[in-house]
Amino acid sequence: MVDRDPRGHILPLLVTLIIFGVLLMTFDVRLQGGGVVGVLRTGTQTIIAPVQKAASYAVNPVADVVDSLSNLSNLREENIALRRQLANAEASLVGVQDQLARLEHFEQLYGMEAAGDEIGRTVANVIGRPDAFDAALIIDKGTSDGVVVGQPVVDTNGYVVGVVKSVTPGSATIVPITADRQALTVIVGDQIGSLLSQVATDEMRLEILDARAPVLVGDRVLTSAVSASFPAGLPVGVVTEDAAPSIDVLTATVDLFVHPDTLRLVVVLAWPPDPITASSDATIPSETTTTTTETATTTTTEGGG
Amino acid sequence: MTILLFAVVTQTTLFGRIRFIVPDLVMLVVILLALTRIRPEVILGTAFLSGLLVDLLGSSLLGLRAIVFTTVAYVALRTKERAENFRVAVALWAGILTLIGVALLVLIGTLFGQTSLLGANVASRVLVVPLANLLLAGLFGPLFVRLVDGDTSAFRFS
Repeated sequence: MVDRDPRGHILPLLVTLIIFGVLLMTFDVRLQGGGVVGVLRTGTQTIIAPVQKAASYAVNPVADVVDSLSNLSNLREENIALRRQLANAEASLVGVQDQLARLEHFEQLYGMEAAGDEIGRTVANVIGRPDAFDAALIIDKGTSDGVVVGQPVVDTNGYVVGVVKSVTPGSATIVPITADRQALTVIVGDQIGSLLSQVATDEMRLEILDARAPVLVGDRVLTSAVSASFPAGLPVGVVTEDAAPSIDVLTATVDLFVHPDTLRLVVVLAWPPDPITASSDATIPSETTTTTTETATTTTTEGGG
Repeated sequence: MTILLFAVVTQTTLFGRIRFIVPDLVMLVVILLALTRIRPEVILGTAFLSGLLVDLLGSSLLGLRAIVFTTVAYVALRTKERAENFRVAVALWAGILTLIGVALLVLIGTLFGQTSLLGANVASRVLVVPLANLLLAGLFGPLFVRLVDGDTSAFRFS
């Protein structure tokens, strides 16, 4: 048996701490993660990040083994699907190479120069997640690598993952679009709509106001040029059901290409580009940092690869 | 404090990567602290600070886990007698308290607009996290108490 501790008068302390906690939550809501709360968050992450990085390198092999064992039954199925995707991709590649050659030919013919639309990319390892109920990802790149708050994040295939929420010199926290309270502006065909997260599912809800045409199963959902958070044309997912406009409003479900739980590597895009650099240079520098220690194990759900 | 820091780092790194074993290690440590000889006031304060630390490392509202962990620690302190007799009792007690904590987390989070807490597989996670904590508490709970108290005779069940 253990010794009984005198519990004393802990109820007043509990009430005080709960009131303090509610005040903190209210502050956080009011300041929208900025101000003192933002400074506290950044400071704590700056202190903990090096420990997390070191621990991550130590536990990654263990996690890989356990993760692989748990997914053993799915690996064969996944391999078949990947082989099929590879065959499709190789077929598409031949077509694209032909088109590129034609494009180059026409550019030479008309003396054109490619516009500088390359975006700086920082490849980062996912080193952790806060807990089972927080979808955020912690990555091992921060302000020292050019990562800033608000930058869009994609996976190694260029599929949309989320946005950088907070950043320290050596790490950053990414909120996936599935956990973001803000809607993502997307385009399906030629119709612009909003993509919203849903409760208890990874699928997102597409809403198109002023819809003119139906959307069909398999229609690709891309980021729109209207979006303030992402560059235009990044693939987000596919429509999972046919949907027709009802009084100018269309609602459909979208299956995302990326499932954040499975990500090991992400790419932070330096977007929007620095306006000073963009105005002075015709070409924006590309490929800033590409240091990686792992291979990508991104799971996609796109049919054709 | 070292144990808590270890729990936070392990939670955010190792258990952040393994998808099918998802305990809430920090909550478990807070619960098990109630079984030690540490003063209750200190345990409540530690629970609050631990929750705050996890909040600061994540993307959810600051203070959410601080409130949840403090409440769970309080309930743990009030009910710790129920866990003192058998190893199974320690496990069940920790599992039930984790379930209360997880339910509180989802409830308070939803009230404050944290819909991200209700992401994919929320129902299974609400059950899996307490089950994982139950298992860990049964395996390592008594050892944890002995380690923290520095008493090798504590929680030796006959």
